[in-house]
Amino acid sequence: MTTNPQKLAAERAARIKAAYDLQEPDRVPFTGMGGDVVASFAGITGYQFNFDYELANQAVIKYLQEFSTADQPVGAGSAIVNNVTSLAFLDFPDLAAGLAIIDGPINDILGVEIARFPGRELPENSSSQFIGNAYMKPEEYDQLIADPLKFLYETVMTRSTRSLANLGSPASLAAMARYGMERAKKGIASQKFGQELQQLGYPGGARGMFIAPLDFIGDQLRDIPNLIKDLRRYPDKTKAAAKAMLEPLLRLALGAKNAGADLAFIPLHLNEYLSPKLYNEFYWPTLKEGILRMLQEGMKSQVFFEGRHDPHMETILELPAGWGAGYFEKTDVRKAKKLLQGHTCIIGGLDVGMVIASTPAKLDEYIKELLGEMMPGGGFILAPNVGNLPRETPIENIRAVYEAVEKYGKY
Amino acid sequence: MRKELLKSFVDMDEREAVRIAKELVETDGGPVAVLETCKEAMEEVGRLFEAGEYFLSELIAAGDIFNQIMAFTLPKLQQGDVSSIGTMVLGTVQGDVHNIGKDIFKVMAEASGVHVIDIGIDVPHEKFVEAIKEHQPDVVGMCCLITLGVDSMKQTVEVIKEAGLRDGIKIIIGGGRVSEAVMEHVGADAWADDAARGVRLTKELLG
Amino acid sequence: MTTDPQKLAAERAARYNAAVELKEPDRVPFTGLGGDVVGSYAGITSYEYCFDFEKSHQATLKYLKDFPSDQPLIPMTSVANTVSSLAFVDFPNVASLVSNIDGPTNDVLGVRYGRFPGRELGENSSPQFIGTDYMQPEEYDELIADPVKFCYEKMIPRTTRNLEDLGSPAALATMARLGLEKARQGAAMQKFMRELMELGFPLSGMSMFLAPIDFIGDFLRDIPNLIKDLRRRPDKVKAATEALLEPLLKLVLQGKKTGVEMSFIPLHFNEYLSPKLYQEFYWPTLKQGILSMLEEGMKSRVFFEGRHDPHLETILDLPAGWGIGFFEKTDIRRAKKMLEGHTCIMGGIDTGMVIGSNPAKLDEYIKELLGEMMPGGGFILSPNVSNMPRETPIENIRAVYEAVEKYGKY
Repeated sequence: MTTNPQKLAAERAARIKAAYDLQEPDRVPFTGMGGDVVASFAGITGYQFNFDYELANQAVIKYLQEFSTADQPVGAGSAIVNNVTSLAFLDFPDLAAGLAIIDGPINDILGVEIARFPGRELPENSSSQFIGNAYMKPEEYDQLIADPLKFLYETVMTRSTRSLANLGSPASLAAMARYGMERAKKGIASQKFGQELQQLGYPGGARGMFIAPLDFIGDQLRDIPNLIKDLRRYPDKTKAAAKAMLEPLLRLALGAKNAGADLAFIPLHLNEYLSPKLYNEFYWPTLKEGILRMLQEGMKSQVFFEGRHDPHMETILELPAGWGAGYFEKTDVRKAKKLLQGHTCIIGGLDVGMVIASTPAKLDEYIKELLGEMMPGGGFILAPNVGNLPRETPIENIRAVYEAVEKYGKY
Repeated sequence: MRKELLKSFVDMDEREAVRIAKELVETDGGPVAVLETCKEAMEEVGRLFEAGEYFLSELIAAGDIFNQIMAFTLPKLQQGDVSSIGTMVLGTVQGDVHNIGKDIFKVMAEASGVHVIDIGIDVPHEKFVEAIKEHQPDVVGMCCLITLGVDSMKQTVEVIKEAGLRDGIKIIIGGGRVSEAVMEHVGADAWADDAARGVRLTKELLG
Repeated sequence: MTTDPQKLAAERAARYNAAVELKEPDRVPFTGLGGDVVGSYAGITSYEYCFDFEKSHQATLKYLKDFPSDQPLIPMTSVANTVSSLAFVDFPNVASLVSNIDGPTNDVLGVRYGRFPGRELGENSSPQFIGTDYMQPEEYDELIADPVKFCYEKMIPRTTRNLEDLGSPAALATMARLGLEKARQGAAMQKFMRELMELGFPLSGMSMFLAPIDFIGDFLRDIPNLIKDLRRRPDKVKAATEALLEPLLKLVLQGKKTGVEMSFIPLHFNEYLSPKLYQEFYWPTLKQGILSMLEEGMKSRVFFEGRHDPHLETILDLPAGWGIGFFEKTDIRRAKKMLEGHTCIMGGIDTGMVIGSNPAKLDEYIKELLGEMMPGGGFILSPNVSNMPRETPIENIRAVYEAVEKYGKY
C-alpha cells in the first residue's frame, strides 16, 4: 500500500468504482465500520460526538489512524435526516439540501420533533434517534397532492419544528438566522476535517440523497402504522401523494449534482413492511422512476434495502445493469449475488451482531468464508449490514475484521 | 358468523370484520365468540407471516383491526372469560426510544392470551427489576431497534441477575438487530427479529 | 515608543482613557484619519473595500502600519439599520446581525436604507444611508403602543426587500443566508482582530445608541416630515420618543454584556432644532438615555453633528466625567472653555483642510490647534468627519500624523 495521500485516495476511489462497474478491483472494497464506537474509542461521550464538531472530527481521525484498511472514512456524529424542511425550502437551492441534515447543535436551534439526541432527550452516551409521528392528518392528503411544497412549508413544518411553529414570528426568523450561523460554523469545521481526511488518503466527493416517495410519507408525514392503514383506507390518495412527491424529491436529490455528486444514497424503510402486491403497487413505481431519472442525469444510486428485501428482490432486475449498488441489511447477500451478479453491485455482508458479540478468531473465519463466497466475479463492496457499531463493541473484534480484510481480500 | 368474521379479519377486510364483530358481539355468548375468533385470526395472520405470505404491513393492520374490535368487545366480557397463558413484562431497553416493533409484538402477544405489562421505551435497567418484583412475570421481553440496544440488553440482564431474579424467569429479546450471536452475548433464552416469531417463542417459553 | 504589541496596546488605551477621565496623558490621543482613503491607499476600489473582507482587512492593516494611531480604524463601512435590530431586541444574538448593514449583508437582506458602491452607486462611491417616510403619520399610536412589534411587523417588511412577507419561505431563507454570511464575516473578523492585536491596537468596541427622536427622523418619518409632525402632532412625537427610549436602551446595553464599555451616539436632528424644540423634544430622552447607561457603567461618545453651539449648555446637565463630546462644526475652543473639567472633547481636525491644504500649512494648523486644545487634558484629536475621501493627498495625511508626533507631547 502506498503512503502518498493522493495516490492512496486514487487507489481507494478506483477500488470502489470498479465494484460499481461490476468488475474485480485489486482488493475487495471495504466501507469500514464506524458509529458510536468511534466516540468511545476516542474517550468522548455520545453527547460530545454529536454536539462538538471539533471533538467528533478528531475522534474520527484517531479511529482512521488506527484502522486504515477501509476505502471510505467513517462518519463524525450521526445526524438525523429531515426532508420536510428541505422540501419546504426547495426553491432555495443553496439551503435546501443542507436543511435535511439535523445534527445536535442545529437541533438545539430548530427543535425538530422527529430527532432525539444524546445529552438532550436521551442519556449522554446514547445514539441519536429518529422517531416518526403523524404530522399530517389523513384528510390532508388532497392538500399535499395539490401543492406539496406549500403544504409542507405551511402545515407540516410548523407542526414538526418547534422553532418554526409560528411562521413569520420574530422567533421563527431568529431561528433561521441562528441556523445559518451554526451551519457556517459547521462548514468551517467540515472544511478543515475534509483536509485532514485528504491527508489520510481518503477520496472526497459529495453524495446526493433521494427518498422513496412512500418512505417520505411514512417516515416524515404519517408515521408507518398510520400509512399502513392509509394504504387500505385511501389507496388512491396515497398513490397520488407518492406521485406528487416524486418531482420535488428528485429535484432535491439532483441538486447535489451541482456539488459534483454522481451518486445518490436511497435508504429504504417501508420496503420490508410490504407484501409484494403492496410493494409493487405503492412503493416500487415511484422509487424505480426516481432511480431511472437520476441515472438519466448521470447519477447512480446506492439503495439501502433495510430489513429483509427477499420477497422483492426480482424487481431490482427491472433496472438496467450497472444502475448502482444494492446495500443489504438482512437479505441473504449470497442469494442476492446469485440473482444480481453482472447487474447490481452488492454492498454489505458483515453482520454487526457478530462484530459486537463474537470473538476475533471466529470473525477471522467468518470474513474468510464470506469473502470467499462474495468476491469472485467482482461487483461486491464489503460493509457492515447496519452503519452503527455501538460504544461497547470490542476493539479486538473490529481489529480482527480489518485484518481479515487485508488477509483475505486480495483478488 | 364466526367463520365470516375470521375470514374477513384474516383477509384484512377491516370494514367487514368490524361490522360482523359488532353484530356478533350483541348475540348470546357473542363477546366470548368475538374474542376467540379474533385470537384465532391473529394466530392465523402470524402463521401467514411466518410462512412468508404476509408482511409487516399485515401484522400492523391486523393489530389495528384487533384493537378496534376489542374496544367494544372487552367491556362486554365477564371476569373469567379472558384466560391468560402467562404474564410478560415488556419494554424497549434503556437508550432506545423506538416503539413500533414493541407495539406490534404487544398486540399479537395479547391476542395470543399473554398478559402483557408494557413498561414503555428507554426503560432503565432498574425499572425492569422493579417490574419483575411487582408483577412476578413468567417471561421478560426486551426490545431494541438500534445497535446501541444490544449492550443495553446485556446490562439489563446482568442487573436482573444481580437482583437474584434471573432464575425464576425466561428472557426473550426482540428487534431489528438481534440474532443468535446477540442472544448468547446478552445471556437471554430466546430471540426474535419479527413479532410473529417472537410470539411463537414466547408461547414456547411459557411451556 | 515600545514595539511590544501588548505594551503598545496598553499605552494607547491608557492615553485614550486618560483623556476620557479629563486628565493629561503622555501624548494627545489621536483617533487617526480613515475612511475611503484606506481603500485607495491599498489600490482597491470602494466596491472591494465594502464587499471583500480579505481585501478591506488587508487594506486597513497596510494603512495602519504606515499610519499608526491610538485607535484602530474600522474596515468595511456600513449603514445603520437600527429599525431591524430594535425589531429583534428580544433576540440579542440576532439583533446584532442586523444592526449594521455592510455590502454583503445588504446583498442578502436588501435594506432600502442602504446604497452601496458597485451596486446602486458607482464602484468608487461611499456607502450611503437614505431614509424616507416608511411610517405614516397616522401610525404614531401603533408605534407608541408597542415600538418593537411595530418595527417588526410594519417597518421590516417596508424597509427590507427580502423580508417583505415575513411568513414566506423567502423571508426565512433570507434569515438563514444572513446567519451564514455573518458567521463567515465573524471568522474573517476574528483573524483581523488578531492581526490588529499584533500591531499593538487596543480592541475596545462601542455599542450604538440613538437619540429616540433621531430614530424617528432617520428611520421612520424622514426629517422634513418629522419637522411637520413636531408642529401638527407634538404630543404624539413626544410620546413616541418616550416609548422608544426603553427598547433603544435595552439594545445598547446588550453590547455591555459582551464587554463593550462605551456607547456611540451619533446625533443628527440636533442642528435642525431651535433651543426650545431641542429641549422639549430631543434632549430629555437623549439625556435620560445617557444617564441610564452611565448608571449601568457605560460612558458615551456623542457625535454632535453640524453646529451644536446653540445647545452646548445643556451638556452641563450631565454629571462631570459622563463621556466624550465629539464635535463636527461646533467651535471646539469655545466648547473647551465651557466644558473643561466636565466633558472630554474630541475632534478638531477639519477634514476639508486635510483634503485641500498642503503639508506645510497642515503642520502649522495642527501645531496651533494642539497648542490651544491640549492644556489641561481631556482632549482627543480626531477629524471632524470620519470619512477621508479616496482622493485625499497622502502627503497631507502624513503631515498630520507627523505633526501629532511633533507637537502632541505633554
